[in-house]
Amino acid sequence: MTVYRSANSTKERANYLYFNDDCNANKNDCLGSQNQEDNYNLLSNNDATIAQGDGEYSFLEQESAELIWVKESCNITVTSNDTQASVSLQAALQLAIAIVISITIADSDRSDHVSQELLQYTNTEQINRQKIYIYNTKDATVTTTDTDIAVNIQLLLQVLLTLVLLLDIL
Amino acid sequence: MDDSSKQQPATEKVIKVMVDNIFRKNGVQPEELKKNISDEQRQMLKEMVQDLRQQVDQFNKAQKKVTDSEE
Repeated sequence: MTVYRSANSTKERANYLYFNDDCNANKNDCLGSQNQEDNYNLLSNNDATIAQGDGEYSFLEQESAELIWVKESCNITVTSNDTQASVSLQAALQLAIAIVISITIADSDRSDHVSQELLQYTNTEQINRQKIYIYNTKDATVTTTDTDIAVNIQLLLQVLLTLVLLLDIL
Repeated sequence: MDDSSKQQPATEKVIKVMVDNIFRKNGVQPEELKKNISDEQRQMLKEMVQDLRQQVDQFNKAQKKVTDSEE
């Protein structure tokens, strides 16, 4: 059994799930979807909060992919946390920062510039790829975690809190 | 301040400097900005931030649980 799951914040979220016993065929499938994703990253950016004409976009590029193979085994427990929830939390925080800035700075040119700069500093590009292969095993438990995203969420929250403290909102 | 910011005093300062610098560079005065928010907006933003903060806390707790059970 093979499970392939992928989450990406810069495009429409899509789940790729493959169940296939033929390992070679599956590898090709996965490569195909990976390439597609890369194209999406460059060409379309649905989650961008601010777009500027000079070609600078503030968005978060992040990709998490997990590939878990379980072969000729029994009683295997696989726990992997859902990255979708954390990706949307991240997007919500970015949006909140942009909202606070656009409300408080009346001049829209200036507000665009400030929020773009703020988000640019916290803009991280990270790619997480995990591959787990379980073969000829009995009674095993596997847990996977994505720690990168947690750090980023903390950072964005700090920026938001600093802003609202500065503006006496809280 | 909440617990998470107490754990990371360094990050907090770095971000303060960053925000201050960006405001300065763009000629933005925090005092002037305060006037632009109506009480209603202030309330709305306050609720939004508190809600997000709660969500982040929950997320951190869930993450911690996973890490603890791994050890």
